[in-house]
Amino acid sequence: MRKFVSPLLAVGLTVLSLTACGTNSTTGSAGGKVTLQMWEGYTGVEQTTFSHLVKEYEAANPNVTISVLPVNNDDTLTKVQTALAGGVPPDIAYLYGSWAPNVAEIPQVVDLSSVVKRPGVNWDDFFVGERDVATVGNKVIGIPALVDNLAVVYNKTLFAAAHLTPPSPDWTWNDFAADAQKLTIASKKQFGTAYVTPESEDAVWHWEVLLWEAGGSLLTAGNKAAAFDSAAGLRTLEMLRTMAVVQHSMYLDPSDNEYANLFNSGKIGMLVTGPWDLSAFPNVHYGVQIMPSFPGSAGGHQTISGPDNWVIFNNGASHVSAAENFLLWLTAPAQVRSFSLATGDLPTRASVAAAAGFDQEMNKELPGVSTFIENLANVKQARPQIPTYPKISTTLANMVVSVLVGSSQPQAALTTAANQVNQILNAANAGG
Amino acid sequence: MTAVPLPQRRPRRFRLRFNPWHLVLAPVSVILVFPFFWMLITSLETQPESLHFPPVLTPHQLRPANYPDAFNAAPFSHFFVNSIVVAVVTVICNLVLCSLAGYAFARMRFFGRTTLFIVLMATLMVPFQVTMIPQFLIEKWLGVHVLASVGINHIGALILPNAATAFGVFFLRQFFKTLPLEYEESARVDGARRLTVLWRIVLPLSLPALATLAALTFLDSWNSFLWPLLVVNSQDGMTLPIGLETFQSAHATQWPLLMAANVMSLVPMLIVFFAAQRYFVRSVAATGLGGA
Amino acid sequence: MASPPSTLRRRWWHRDPGDVGGNPAGRAARRFVSSEHVGGWAFAAPAAVIIVLFGAVPIVWSIVLSFEQASFSPGGKFVGLANYREMVHDPTVRQAIAHTLEYTALFVPLTMIVGMLLAVAMNRKIRFISLYRTAAYVTMAVSTINEALIFLWLFDPSYGIVNYVASLFGLPQQPFLNSPSQALGVIVVMTVWGWTGFAVIIYLAALQGIPQTVLDAAAMDGARPWATFRRITVPMLSPASLFLAVWLTINALQLFDEVYVSTQGGPVGATTVIVYYIYEQGFQYFNIGYASAIALILLIATLVVTAVQFRAGRRYTHYRS
Repeated sequence: MRKFVSPLLAVGLTVLSLTACGTNSTTGSAGGKVTLQMWEGYTGVEQTTFSHLVKEYEAANPNVTISVLPVNNDDTLTKVQTALAGGVPPDIAYLYGSWAPNVAEIPQVVDLSSVVKRPGVNWDDFFVGERDVATVGNKVIGIPALVDNLAVVYNKTLFAAAHLTPPSPDWTWNDFAADAQKLTIASKKQFGTAYVTPESEDAVWHWEVLLWEAGGSLLTAGNKAAAFDSAAGLRTLEMLRTMAVVQHSMYLDPSDNEYANLFNSGKIGMLVTGPWDLSAFPNVHYGVQIMPSFPGSAGGHQTISGPDNWVIFNNGASHVSAAENFLLWLTAPAQVRSFSLATGDLPTRASVAAAAGFDQEMNKELPGVSTFIENLANVKQARPQIPTYPKISTTLANMVVSVLVGSSQPQAALTTAANQVNQILNAANAGG
Repeated sequence: MTAVPLPQRRPRRFRLRFNPWHLVLAPVSVILVFPFFWMLITSLETQPESLHFPPVLTPHQLRPANYPDAFNAAPFSHFFVNSIVVAVVTVICNLVLCSLAGYAFARMRFFGRTTLFIVLMATLMVPFQVTMIPQFLIEKWLGVHVLASVGINHIGALILPNAATAFGVFFLRQFFKTLPLEYEESARVDGARRLTVLWRIVLPLSLPALATLAALTFLDSWNSFLWPLLVVNSQDGMTLPIGLETFQSAHATQWPLLMAANVMSLVPMLIVFFAAQRYFVRSVAATGLGGA
Repeated sequence: MASPPSTLRRRWWHRDPGDVGGNPAGRAARRFVSSEHVGGWAFAAPAAVIIVLFGAVPIVWSIVLSFEQASFSPGGKFVGLANYREMVHDPTVRQAIAHTLEYTALFVPLTMIVGMLLAVAMNRKIRFISLYRTAAYVTMAVSTINEALIFLWLFDPSYGIVNYVASLFGLPQQPFLNSPSQALGVIVVMTVWGWTGFAVIIYLAALQGIPQTVLDAAAMDGARPWATFRRITVPMLSPASLFLAVWLTINALQLFDEVYVSTQGGPVGATTVIVYYIYEQGFQYFNIGYASAIALILLIATLVVTAVQFRAGRRYTHYRS
């Protein structure tokens, strides 16, 4: 009753230091044979594809065995930290990019700066959004495992029924809002668009990209103070308020996953979401278009990306080098290409994305995904890679949701949030 | 010869063919069971139909193949066996250890009793997230220095921390206190030892409480997720709740398979409850109180 | 009571230290309530060792952590009472406490009342009664995630059944989980549903201890069912009620799973309860020291509340001994 599904956990390595239990375990590395422990959260098609790749590598490298443990991605950090406290971390783990700034503070995480500079690796071939998230300060803490981005998925049937022209690549947020209003039919409980209201990062990153497109930025250079309390920030919140509170064209999803099923049931006209949701829309004729821009804003068309990393933990030199070699192979262009084609996940390398015919082939498996691939070029910035980002994220979520549910006005919400963020940053910078 | 009086007939009250309580209990039960019903329906749907909101309660197409598919998608038979073994052993340990301790707190006076009880209760008042890493370290230490089968990644590690719970001790203490002292008094006056009193007198009188504790402990162990997640490092050693996450990813939740797996994992608990609830309600004859 | 024959075997641990001959009746009485230090410890020790090792030791650990500025990097700095001072000035802590108390005050009585009424209804031998009872237990067996999914649907502002039924009665559509004022109420309903089975089980077990003779006597004296319920059943259930009140309160003060799976503390922090805030601090912001400090305060508060409940219970519960 009390030990039900519990989520992310991360606990102090101070515990580790108190108990001094930390010795590196050596799992089976005798006589040149190495067994790597790898924790990842692939399911379904991804899992089967990944298993094939692993077997392929093991066949080609008989000295290496890779023991894979499926762990739900949400839980990996908790499990890793517990294991670290006990001195038994895995060799490789799949960790969300949003955890990167804090992962970077773990001493056992291997710095891959020199590894990614090796000839043939082509670090710059990885998209800039991924490299930004894998790099914290001077350390490269991981190799990109996944990339995605946000675009607009729309219901072609609903558009036709409302006599609307489908979105074009140069559309603006005014077009979006107008379309949303026309697509909202109260009697049919149909909405133009949707937004999630649980206060997680999901509610924040959908808004952050709006801020960027409006020409604003989250923090000042050097991450010293809040910068979103600006005309750009106001513009974004006013637009959200118009849709959610005034026109009621925005369905506020209290659950964080209903919106996808609603879209699939033909009850929502447009969604701002990522390629992972495309397979959840089997019942709908959908189209994909890049996000609109704000008219007159320098931000143009941008999108936001949420990459994840393969992180290596130090379990001894032989394990580290075996892990590095495996990851470099896994993320080499050939494997990236075959994994993408098999699973529909976006390729992590620009060369793979740009290859002739790649887009079309991906589109055959998963219609619409080519727009997401092209959209990767619109990833121009990343969220601040600072350890206090999670706290800032909660503040921002509060701000956005309070405007959406109508409990505060945009300017007031901005000011309050900016003050709180400044407090957080000051406390962090003072405490050191 | 005196006339034998005819037996008096009590006036017959109008008797309904069914008990009116059904009118209350049936709708209430429907409300209580509704989520389970939803899970069942979803587990029989096809993937496209499951991706609807509001959920489809009358699917056009049923797919019972979801069940074997779910079962084969991961080594569920291993997960089932592991969960059952852990749950059964945990229940037995709890029944034994918590009866002993509960009886001590209820009936015996010993030095430090109150303090110890407070300490035990205090362990219930801290969320698991706060204690889990130290617990992990303790378990690891025990595995290395005391007994390998309770170390990390062994089944003993899943059992040992919950082999006795403060809840069980608390629950049985409260229950034992409600039993009338006369039975135990008379036994002890006859010279019985405490252990005999417990075994022969108190426990038989406590079947409902023991059955209740057994069912609750089984439930807690069966649904336990976080601790096995931390402690198990191989797929063969996993328990059901972790296995259920196989279908849930950030990317594409396979709802019908997930619900099928959920239903399959609920069924043993329902069986346990259904069987145990006979003991929740004790027959009067068994207590020896009838007619006293 | 006649004094026992002195030829009775007396176990050495039964012997009362002051028992050196003397008043036989007194000896008997004293022996029955005599202290049994070794026996008591022998009985309590196995469970106590496990619980202390895996429960109390980690708590001490975390208390130590609460005096440190701990995060991801090793070597937490000892900072004395800084975490506690920060707590005093933290407005979110105050809100979290308020939300938790509000939740507890609603959840505990509701669950007890619903459970008691249902248990009394289910304490009879009619057809299908096993099914009805199993239905109550199902609420406990369904996992938190599934429970939350269902309630998110039922209370959905646009598509949920509750608003649909409200519209049939002409009542306005409620925002429920999208409303800072209503979200906690929805969580109350969700958790009362989830705990009903538990309350029913406890009360059912306790109802077995009420001798049928007492109830029959009351019926024969002409007492109506409601009066019997109020005057006899409820008082005789008081030990179970005390147990439930204590256990439900302890759990209510630690509400977490349902909030995590549904609202994540929102909207606008309306459902941020204490343990959710501990989780945020410890596992999203990696302030382990601060989280441990809050947890310690929660522990102390819970101990106090429980002690008060036990004390009040002593006045209102009737044990038959």
